[in-house]
Formats: sequence, structure tokens, C-alpha cells
Amino acid sequence: MLTILLRFAGLGLVLVVALLIAVFVGDQGPWYFAWLVGTVMIVLIAVAGAILFDTQADGQDSKGEY
Amino acid sequence: MDIVSPWVVELSRFQFALTALYHFMFVPLTLGMVFILAAMETVYVVTGKQIYKDMTQFWGKLFGINFAIGVATGLTMEFEFGTNWSMYSRFFGDMFGTPLAIEGLMAFFMESTFVGLMFFGWDRLSKGAHLAVTYLVALGSNLSALWILVANASMNVPHGAHFDPETMRMTFDSFVAVVFNPDAQAKFVHTSVAGFVTASMFVMGISAFYLLRREHRSFAAHSFRIAALFGIMSTIAVITLGDVLGRLDYMHQPTKVAAMEGLWHTSKPPSEPWLLFAIPDDQKQTNYFEIGVPYVLTPLLTHTFDTPIEGIDELQEQAGPRIENGIKAVTALRRYGETRQQSDLDQFKLYEKDMGYGFLATRHAPNQDVSSITAEEVPNVVAKTKLDIFPNVFVTFWAFRIMVFLAMYFFIVFAMASYLSLKRQLEKYRFFLRMVMWSIPLPFIACEFGWITAEVGRQPWTVFEILPTFISSSTHGTGYMIFSLCGFLLLYSIFIAAELYLMFKYARLGPPSSDSATATQSSH
Repeated sequence: MLTILLRFAGLGLVLVVALLIAVFVGDQGPWYFAWLVGTVMIVLIAVAGAILFDTQADGQDSKGEY
Repeated sequence: MDIVSPWVVELSRFQFALTALYHFMFVPLTLGMVFILAAMETVYVVTGKQIYKDMTQFWGKLFGINFAIGVATGLTMEFEFGTNWSMYSRFFGDMFGTPLAIEGLMAFFMESTFVGLMFFGWDRLSKGAHLAVTYLVALGSNLSALWILVANASMNVPHGAHFDPETMRMTFDSFVAVVFNPDAQAKFVHTSVAGFVTASMFVMGISAFYLLRREHRSFAAHSFRIAALFGIMSTIAVITLGDVLGRLDYMHQPTKVAAMEGLWHTSKPPSEPWLLFAIPDDQKQTNYFEIGVPYVLTPLLTHTFDTPIEGIDELQEQAGPRIENGIKAVTALRRYGETRQQSDLDQFKLYEKDMGYGFLATRHAPNQDVSSITAEEVPNVVAKTKLDIFPNVFVTFWAFRIMVFLAMYFFIVFAMASYLSLKRQLEKYRFFLRMVMWSIPLPFIACEFGWITAEVGRQPWTVFEILPTFISSSTHGTGYMIFSLCGFLLLYSIFIAAELYLMFKYARLGPPSSDSATATQSSH
């Protein structure tokens, strides 16, 4: 129970820090903020594409062609 | 400030351009590749599939070769500021040295420390901890670029500093203003994301090579998918930020924009064309063989349809009064240096914002001493100095166009690559795979030409409208400059040869375990 609470508090702290960074950097340096958000988005889209690749490979339509 | 031999200045410029362009062959790949590695390792941690670990380790090896040689080429450049640009370093050292020192102390050490853990920590760290290390390397690499670009932006659009007549140096007003300089922000994002594009094409090109040879097919198709999606998103971002940078240049560096667009005369909105092709003649101040798309330039730069864009002729006319005021500022500054009279300081303060134009007039002053220009000589000196205020138009115009045309090409290639990869039809279109493979060098070329646009376009200044290039260099002899230039040329060419040899060698070898069976093999 304590571990869960500590993890919850830790995640809450990360959230607060992220919000503070978003407010400050978004206000003072909009393009720096855009880089932070954009880079995360680019990485996540690439990751999603890879996972989709595996899903396609596991599907019936795959004939070993790429 | 004494005038250095024009040969020494040109050789110093050439040497710095050469070393910077060499170094910049390595930087973009490092900036982008490490985030692609982070994406691959993220999939490995999420799915537990061995192939993604193999991918991270194989592409990580190529990243490591590039990183090691790239660092070596970057180190010499930091010393070059002191050896070849000592006047600049003295004048602008506070502004330029601070971000560079932070880069060395914070970002570079962070990057280097975690690179070690990334390469040697696979068996010593948990999956999550290793992934965190990879992200820290990615952050560190890009933070290194950030501080360099903060320093560079201070030269292009000086922010958060003022000139101190007591010390004859630029002095910090606000560190926050320097870091959050809009030019630094846009430059950092544009450069970083250009690195993402470079790395995407690199991974895609080598993967296409394997697919064409029907080797490591599953490995190559997985890598291709990640790189294609990474690349298309990055290309959209790089084009967007290119527009932002163009607009910032339009607002703060009109001479650079006029040169980029080959705009000898003020534009006529809204029909002014964006030139696809022209041969600018710097001597005659005209373009030959113009081919353009009408109604594009005005909205592209001004984001309106009715705002004229100042051409070089109008900018030269506007510079006239500034050169006159600059001559008064430099004359008062020199007098103040000798007399320390408040009246001289007041006179200097009155014209301080045009001081740089006074320095620029030095070249045409009798005995190269602005304070000795008589009232009769002023119009002649102003007329000559007006011709010096803009950069080489031919180089800036074409460097910019090559970068832009290549960016458009990348958009098409990445869009097609993403579509064909998502439809699993890559191997049907072998001509496309060949095209991708042969496109590997193109993002490097685009990055180099982007850098040339930014730095040649800044001329004739090292610090825009404050310090001219011709009084920024050290007072070396030409013999020393030629000797050191040959040394750099030889050393850096060896670095490039070593990089190419190792890259080709390890890319041809391919990943160690790479048949399609590994695609579904789990490390659990």
C-alpha cells in the first residue's frame, strides 16, 4: 500500500514539474516548448509505427513481403 | 581597432568555414540518430522483442562511430575562436564564451558520460534504466547543439547585451534574454529537427540497401518503418521552422533576406514572384534568367499580401544615415578613450546604435582611421561603405535554394516511404528503394547549405550590425594561415575518410542476427 502511495506521489510530482515546465517554457520560449512536445510526438509516432508493423506481420494478410 | 590584412581575414574565414562544414557533416546524424535509437529501444522495452534490441545495438554502433569522430572535429573549432578570431573573442567573448562553457560543462559531459553507459551498460543495467540512459544521451546531444546555437544566435540577432565603452567589449544584460532569444529558439529547433531528417534518411537508405540485396529483410523493414515515420514528421517540422526562421530574418536581418531572395529592388506586392531560378550578378546588382512563381514571395515572408519587402537598393539608401552616425559614434568613442570626458561619452551615446556602421566605414577612411574623416570626405566614404552592407548574393541565394529544394524532395520521399511501408509494398518498388539508398548524402548536403545560408547571409558582420568581420580576426601572417589551413584540411579529410570507411564496413556487415525469425522472438 505504501509503495503504491509513494509511486502515486512520485507520479504526481512529475506531473507538477511537467506542468510548471510547460507553463514557464511555453510562455518564455514557445519554440523550445514546441521542440519538447514535438520530439516526444515524433518518437511516439515512430514507436506506434513499429508496433503496427508487428501487428501487420502477425495478421493473416502478411505473406512475408515487406 | 586595427585593420588586419584582407588575405588573413579571408583565410581565417575560409579556415573556419571549412572546419565548421567538416564538423557539421557529423553533427546532424548524431542529433537525430540518438532519438531514433531511443524510439527503437522504447519498442524493445514495451514489446520485449529481441529484434528491437538488435536494431538499437546495430544502429547504435554506427551512431558511435559518427559520435566519436564528430566530437574530435568539434574540439578544434572552440580553440579557433581564440587563435584566429581574437579580436572577435575579446569584443564578444562574454556573450559567446558563456554558452560555449555551459555546453562543455553541462551538455557535453552529460552526453559523454551517458554514451559510455549506453554502449557498455546493456548487461549491467535494467531495461528501464538503459532506456533512461539512451534518452539522456539524446537530450545531452541536443542540449550541446542548443548552447552552440544560442551562441550563434547572439551573433545573428544580438540579444540581452550592450556595448561597454569603458572596456570596449559587449557585456551581458540578461542571461535569460540570451537563452530565450527568438532566433536561438527557432535555430535550435530547425537544426535539431534537420538532424532528425538526416538520421531518418540514413537509416532508411541503409535499410533499403539490405532490402534490395534481400539480406536482413525483417530487420531492414522494421528499421525502415521507424525511420520513415520519424522522417516524415521531422520533415514537416523542419519546413515549418524554416518558415519561422525566414520570418525572423525578415524582421531582424533584412540584408540576409534580400540576398536569399535575390531581391535587388524593393518588392511589388502582391505579385512579386518567388524565384525558382536566377543567376544573381553581385557586381551589376541584377539577376539573369529569372524564373519565378508569382504571388508567392510576399505572403511567404510577410504573411500578408500588401507589405513590400525591402530590396538591396533601398537597404543601401537606409544605411547611408546610419554610416554617418556610426562615423560620429566611433570618432566620439576614440576621443573618449583618450580624454575620458563626459561630453565625448554623451556624444557616443547619442549615436551608439549605429556604432557598427562606423566600424564598417573604417576600411574606406583615410589611413583606416574613422576619426580622421573630414566633412568633405564623409559622402565619399558613405557611398563606398554602402556597397559593403550586404552579403554575397549569388552564394546566399543558391545555398538557400538548394536547401529548400532538397527539403521539398525529402517531404515527397518520406511521404512515399511511409505509405509504402505502411502498405507493406516496399519490395515491389525497387526503383524507389534505390532512390532512397542514393538519397543518403542529400540531407547532409541540405544541412551544409542551410549553414552556409545562415552564416554567409550574416556577412559583412561577425556580430550583426555591431562588429564587422574584417576587424574580428587575429593578426596572423598569411604563411601561418596557409600552413594551419593545410593542416586542418589534411586532418579533417583523414577523419572523413575514417568515418566513411567504418560506416561502409559496418553497414555492409549488417546486424549480427537478422533473419525474419528474430522478428517474433521474445527476449522474455
